[in-house]
Amino acid sequence: MIRLNQEEKTYRVLFLGRLLIGLVFAYSGFIKLMEPVENFQGGMAAYEVIPYAVIPFLARVIPWIEFIFGVFLITGYLPRLSALVLAGMSWSFVLLILYTRLVTGALPSNCGCFGEGSLIHLKPLQVVVMDVFNTIIALRLTLVKAHPFGLSALLKRKS
Amino acid sequence: MKIDIRLRSVLAGLLLVATLVEIILFMKSRRPVFVPPLPHVAGASVSHGSLKVRGPETAPVKIVEYSDFQCPSCRAVPPYLESLFKSYPGKIQLTFKHFPLNSHQWSIYAHQAAECMNRQGKFWLYQDTLYSKQVEWAPSKVAPVEILARYAKELGADMTRFGACMADVAVARDIYAEKDEGNKRQVSATPTFFLGEKRFVGPKEMLERGDNAFRQVLGLPPKPSAAKKVEPLVPKPLAGAAK
Repeated sequence: MIRLNQEEKTYRVLFLGRLLIGLVFAYSGFIKLMEPVENFQGGMAAYEVIPYAVIPFLARVIPWIEFIFGVFLITGYLPRLSALVLAGMSWSFVLLILYTRLVTGALPSNCGCFGEGSLIHLKPLQVVVMDVFNTIIALRLTLVKAHPFGLSALLKRKS
Repeated sequence: MKIDIRLRSVLAGLLLVATLVEIILFMKSRRPVFVPPLPHVAGASVSHGSLKVRGPETAPVKIVEYSDFQCPSCRAVPPYLESLFKSYPGKIQLTFKHFPLNSHQWSIYAHQAAECMNRQGKFWLYQDTLYSKQVEWAPSKVAPVEILARYAKELGADMTRFGACMADVAVARDIYAEKDEGNKRQVSATPTFFLGEKRFVGPKEMLERGDNAFRQVLGLPPKPSAAKKVEPLVPKPLAGAAK
């Protein structure tokens, strides 16, 4: 039987958070990558505060970041960096939604995070709640120095 | 030893990224975007529903629109399309396809009513009413069947036929068949427009890129700022409309 020390026992709760955030981002990125890029482009354009010139670039880059760092977080490869990147993304979504609401006085009826064909449909305000939660957990994961369950920990072990 | 660990870590990372990229590219290549044949109005054999087509069959620009009557963004589209028909008379043909979103509670009722009006030759008038009066029926607490019937009556519909049509499951099946076609084309938001295989999602995309894409088909020089012509771009969502 594997014996866990105190730190590892405490980490088990955070580990669930790590899996949850990783899954949310990996799924969101995967759905967007499977669909034509114009779908996400249109979703971003619905937030009228994003300069139109950068939308085609962002629509191509963001899904890859979500998918790759989501999988990194699940597998525990570069977990601190991945958590930091995803915390930054979660927080930027929160700011985007709040800023759009403030400037235009309106929000798109769908957040544009997952496609119509996906299992998850969220309104922008539900995304704010989810992303605030994600940011807190991801920042907590960034501050943890050792992530025992994961690829990075496995690679650091002496062979 | 430390260099060894770092090297191992970098190689593992590269392998992981390469695998992920390969998986995505492989899966995407196995999922081609479905392109249905262009609709033909006269003498066409239509397998489901009736086509909702505006503009001549000979028009060089053929637009297919997937829209949802309860969607706030879709309300911005008819004035823009109207301006297109005026700017390029005889050059544009528009085909409307039902795409009631799952997130919009009363959408299917509105689409069924519109399809029933289509069968009485009054689709476009009814569509305009649904959008212009979205503020009235969309926030309804109960299914807005009576409101939709009132609109139909105001447009001079045969109410006996309308009532029978509203209760006809086959009509709903036709609507979902159109939505299913949209799903196969990977439509995920409304409004989505197709010009051949080119796709424009949302009114802003249509304004920014659509106009110039039409001009390209027509052999006209591009316009520098198509977006500044039509206001508002996306109307504010109605209270309670976004379900």
